[in-house]
Amino acid sequence: MASVSEMYDVGWEEMRDKLRKWREDNRRNSEQIVDVGEELISEHASKLGDDIWIIYEQVMIAALDCSRDDLALTCLQELRKQFPDSHRVKRLAGMRLEALERYEEANKHYDAILQDDPTNTAARKRKIAILKAQGKSTEAIRELNEYLEQFVGDQEAWHELSELYINEHDYGKAAFCLEELMMTNPHNHLYCEQYAEVKYTQGGLENMELSRKYFAQALRLNNRNMRALFGLYMSASHIASSPKVSAKVKKDNIKYAAWAATQINRAYKLAGRGTKETKYSVKAVEEMLESMQITMS
Amino acid sequence: MLTRCRDRRMRVCHFRVGTCAPLPPSHTVIMGEVELSCRAYVKMYLHACLYPRGSINGLLLSSSSAEGAVCVTDCVPLRHSHLPLALPTQVALTQVDAWCSQTQQRIVGYYQANACASDSSPTQCALKISDKIAEQFDGAVLLMLDGSKMPPDYRVPPIVMYERKDSRWILKDKHMIMLRQWEETRAIASQMLEAGDHALLVDFDSHLDDITKDWTNQKLNAKIAELSSPPNGNI
Repeated sequence: MASVSEMYDVGWEEMRDKLRKWREDNRRNSEQIVDVGEELISEHASKLGDDIWIIYEQVMIAALDCSRDDLALTCLQELRKQFPDSHRVKRLAGMRLEALERYEEANKHYDAILQDDPTNTAARKRKIAILKAQGKSTEAIRELNEYLEQFVGDQEAWHELSELYINEHDYGKAAFCLEELMMTNPHNHLYCEQYAEVKYTQGGLENMELSRKYFAQALRLNNRNMRALFGLYMSASHIASSPKVSAKVKKDNIKYAAWAATQINRAYKLAGRGTKETKYSVKAVEEMLESMQITMS
Repeated sequence: MLTRCRDRRMRVCHFRVGTCAPLPPSHTVIMGEVELSCRAYVKMYLHACLYPRGSINGLLLSSSSAEGAVCVTDCVPLRHSHLPLALPTQVALTQVDAWCSQTQQRIVGYYQANACASDSSPTQCALKISDKIAEQFDGAVLLMLDGSKMPPDYRVPPIVMYERKDSRWILKDKHMIMLRQWEETRAIASQMLEAGDHALLVDFDSHLDDITKDWTNQKLNAKIAELSSPPNGNI
């Protein structure tokens, strides 16, 4: 089996830089991290200097994700030797227990950290992750809500909570979480679009109008967000075909829908150029838009 | 947040699996029988392997109109995140519908794999979409991929199938589920996973992120066809 450096013709510095980039982007491409990191650690450890410790941590987590307990244990042992009293390393040990599904022991680990340091957010979040892994969504939601009362600025937690609510079909509360995120990240088109999708799923005229507004907002922030474009089209179409709206509202929404349809068609025609595989999509989208016109008028 | 999901592992189950022998020309199709083609199975499997940490779902398609039996000849992978959110699914259903009418296929079922590998029960979302499909097609099936039955050395198809009776979804008799050339199908699925071909799979979510990606997965279909032995009847 060829080594990574052979296959991609890269030196150890490039491998190290790649790992750093993946860390900074918070990517979960664990198989790749394991491939690159394992080789880097086993063959170039001495050249890495102090970087090696954060690399051990990164590779260990990736190894757990790929069921490579052997590699995870190696990394953990090196980290334990270097940082014997560290809570950060204890948390990694807990994660390893989670990976082995020894949840009771993992919880004890995290409880011990919290006894020592009640403000340790990482340990609290791991406990919630365990509840999620065990399928205990209600408890996970309750714990996460309690956590957020204390750490109200934790965006990752708000987003996690919104996902938990979506999976429980509790769209009202999911929307609330996304509102928090939109307030603190007004330029993030993804939060706008997700909020709009939740409102769309909730249904009803008022939610549909909100949904359309936020799809439009997402498009203003990123005019290539395809979901937002489809969302604008579908929500405007739904409003236009509702018997409860005034003639003016109907007319306006038909305009919005028509605009969105043109944009969608244009985007697909551009995408379809040169590739024969996407011809299905182009034709399908044309038909889709036509069939919806019929239901709208 | 990092949550770990189990490897989708496997357990033994009883299915009627075909041998490698060719179909006798006078084979009569049994009422209520469901056949799953190699192409449909492999793509579902690769979809599940591509997103092992979350739930995934998709549509089951048929290009045959055999009376009495449902022949699942293909599948379209749909989502890998926020399954309950309606918009991408609605867009997908309409596009797939349009594609089906162009290509003489029809939507005959729905598949899903849950994030929690040990839980293969249909979610509310699965039931809702399957109900919609059943409105248009009588013999619709709901297929759950059983993550607890999918390790590298699994012997039997890791699937649980439901059919609709009296407005409820009930477990289908395993003996009515047919996978011809199962050993070969399994081998192809494993081989493609080893080779990293699952990275080529496009579902509707990834199509919406980049509309130049082909959700009909023609490339993958070609690879599967290449790896299949000379056809013995349908594959």
